[in-house]
Amino acid sequence: MTAALAFRGAARDARAAWSLRTWLTLAAFVAAACVPAVTGSARTADLAGGLYLAVAAVGLAFAVGIGGLPSLAQGAFVAVGAITAAHLLAAGVPTAPSAIAGGAAGALAAFAAGALFIRLPRAAFAAATWIVAWLVSLGAGSITWFLGGSEGFVVAGGPSPAEHYELALGLTALAGLAYAALARAPLGLRLAAARDRETAARALGIPVERARAVAVTLSGAAAGLAGALGVQLAGVGDPAQYGPFLSFKLFVVVLIGGAASAYGAVAGVIILGVLSVVADAIGSLEHVAAARSHTLLAAVMLLGVVSLGWDGLVRPARRGWSGGRTRGGTVAPAALVARTLGKRYGEVVAVDDVSLQLDPGTVTALVGPNGSGKTTLLRLLTGAVEPDRGTVEHGGVVRTLQATSIFPSLSPLEHLVTASAGLRRHGGVLRSLLSTPKARAEEARAAAEARSALTRFGVPVDPPASELTVTDQRILMLLAAAATGAPAILVDEPTAGASFAEAQRIAGVVDVLRAEGRAILVVEHNLAVVRKIADRVVALDAGRVVETA
Amino acid sequence: MAVALQILASGFAAGAVYGLVGVGHSLVFRLTGVVHFAFGELIALGVFVTLLVAAGSGPVSQTTVGGGRFLVALLVGLVVTAAASAGAYFLAIEPYRARGSTIGWVGASLAVAFAVRTLLTVFFDRPAYVFPDPLRLGVWNVGGATIQQRSLVVAGVALALAALGGMLLLRTRFGRALEAIAQDFDAAVVVGLPVAWLVGAAFAVAGAAAGLAAILAAPSGAFDVDAASLYGLYGLLAALVVRFDPRRALAAGIVVGLVQAAVTSAHAGGAQLGPAYRDVVPLALGLVLLAWHARRLPQVVE
Repeated sequence: MTAALAFRGAARDARAAWSLRTWLTLAAFVAAACVPAVTGSARTADLAGGLYLAVAAVGLAFAVGIGGLPSLAQGAFVAVGAITAAHLLAAGVPTAPSAIAGGAAGALAAFAAGALFIRLPRAAFAAATWIVAWLVSLGAGSITWFLGGSEGFVVAGGPSPAEHYELALGLTALAGLAYAALARAPLGLRLAAARDRETAARALGIPVERARAVAVTLSGAAAGLAGALGVQLAGVGDPAQYGPFLSFKLFVVVLIGGAASAYGAVAGVIILGVLSVVADAIGSLEHVAAARSHTLLAAVMLLGVVSLGWDGLVRPARRGWSGGRTRGGTVAPAALVARTLGKRYGEVVAVDDVSLQLDPGTVTALVGPNGSGKTTLLRLLTGAVEPDRGTVEHGGVVRTLQATSIFPSLSPLEHLVTASAGLRRHGGVLRSLLSTPKARAEEARAAAEARSALTRFGVPVDPPASELTVTDQRILMLLAAAATGAPAILVDEPTAGASFAEAQRIAGVVDVLRAEGRAILVVEHNLAVVRKIADRVVALDAGRVVETA
Repeated sequence: MAVALQILASGFAAGAVYGLVGVGHSLVFRLTGVVHFAFGELIALGVFVTLLVAAGSGPVSQTTVGGGRFLVALLVGLVVTAAASAGAYFLAIEPYRARGSTIGWVGASLAVAFAVRTLLTVFFDRPAYVFPDPLRLGVWNVGGATIQQRSLVVAGVALALAALGGMLLLRTRFGRALEAIAQDFDAAVVVGLPVAWLVGAAFAVAGAAAGLAAILAAPSGAFDVDAASLYGLYGLLAALVVRFDPRRALAAGIVVGLVQAAVTSAHAGGAQLGPAYRDVVPLALGLVLLAWHARRLPQVVE
């Protein structure tokens, strides 16, 4: 009975989301499935190889497009999958377990790269992953155990080219669906938030490194699977096929097709494939080897794409959110307690022996001149900076930043859904991938709560947050902080530069959050606002509490 | 003893070239915040243009070319490298750096790298080339080790270029302007420095210096585009592990060269890693060191 209800729910959701675009995609898929009937075996094998490349590219697109991570090691993860599968196949392991093991090996390698380098700035992350690509390529070429060195590693048997083609087509479709499912799951929203503005994402309590490591791992799994099946299709593991050019090529197709769309990478593979055929024809006239013309073609196309500021052939469809019941907002009673906090930067004492308690349902204003240590104290309270001494205890704390720090590409609704992702019990990667009934119900509930909160405070729901007024953006920051469910919220100068009417509106939101039982600490210079909203005022000077009223 | 001496001589020379490339990478990164993925290929361009002017694209022996013609070829090669390096900055890096598009400049610099690489392999289509050696330097046998005199020249020139670069940065108006740009790009623009031209010139100087060291090292063995790409890669590794500090990048490059030579030649009893691991081990060790640095990086706060 439960299963039947779940099935009906899924069918209803699918019907609601069905569109002309869906029909066209389905038609293209069916037509593509019939291709082996009209092509020869060699061409079918080429197409299957292209589709395996597309699987790896969709994985990379998730890391690049959603996570904003310039990962240049995708070719290396393909190689790891190929090496693993080649050895298992040679040992007599069937295709399916070998492919799964290849995918797992690719995921493991990517997880290692992610865990090791994800804290690096993006430029250094790109460089590190580029070195990984070279390391795997040079290792595969020079150490004969991996893929037989320059002679390659023969992989006999396995499915026919036509069977590989159908399998590759199915995997490409699944990879695209997985991309789409994860892009709107808590993982995808967190990645997008961190991509847009990392510091603001951290301030909301988003585990940025963990989300990015998961994204890289998932992209590695897709690459490993593609490599594992691709090596069996080719019949030989050739180290020359897994050089840095493969990573580059995957990067190119992702940027050409559009990294922010589930099937953009597939479109990129198709474009590059078609143009490669043309380049082969021209290259043969000029006696240029195919490999060289392909490399030059990819390089020139990428230069063209980035020069034009092209977002890719396939643009993402605007995400839609279904409605649902509104849950009553309740906050567990909790307080933030800081004891004898101290922090020095060299000779400068930023915070000196500060103790503070935030009680539920109260607003504490932190005032003081510039340089008095207010921002450092906020950083200490959230744990962004380690204190030299003292302790902070809380049941959850988030912070809004002094600068207006929205995520420009996300809608206000997506801001709140992202912020509340940590409260979801059924929003994990696997459940999101499978779109389970509980995951869908929870997603709908989160969207309904977000819509309700935004409507209540007059903030537009659906346009990109970059199009909102500054005041709406500041209210959005407050609502996103509240949506995390954290009992303690630290707000850094919410009304700086605001007119009287705007400041009153923002103060009204703070009032409501207090009424909901939040413990709020506001850093504020506008004393009129302080008088209106604060239950208690703490004055700071030279890092010390000089007055409490 | 003989093995240690051999490792020191060959590793130091190769490492000095890596170090010089690392200095170039560091300079570029400090000025612009970008990683120049095409550095190795632009060095290859300089080496092959020198070869083309000196001896054409056909077969060549080490004694084919006289000193005068080689000098002209060297100058042309350096000018082309400097121009290509500055051109890569203006056309493929600066537009995306200015937009703050990391994906853009990563893609653009990689595209330049592969475009240059392909063009070179179209014109120079043999697997590897012998590079003319106008100096016709020999070898010394010291304590059982065979030491190429060229190694000492290469190491000496690389160190001299690094020292010259350091003086250029510390004692000239050009160097002080670059330091100002490295410390605050926007402030440098505001005070009226011709930032774009200065950075372009820095790209040119870094490319030409690394190109000169690579050209001098090229006759040591068979040369191909991959060899130059590896110069770029090892230079990048050296710069990365010292977090793009130009002063320490040179030393890091030398360490990379020594590790590479040790992996190739050193053995303990009957055990030896050998040439198959000469590229893999330094890269792997560098990545381990980088990962260790990454764990100690402070979280970005605002």
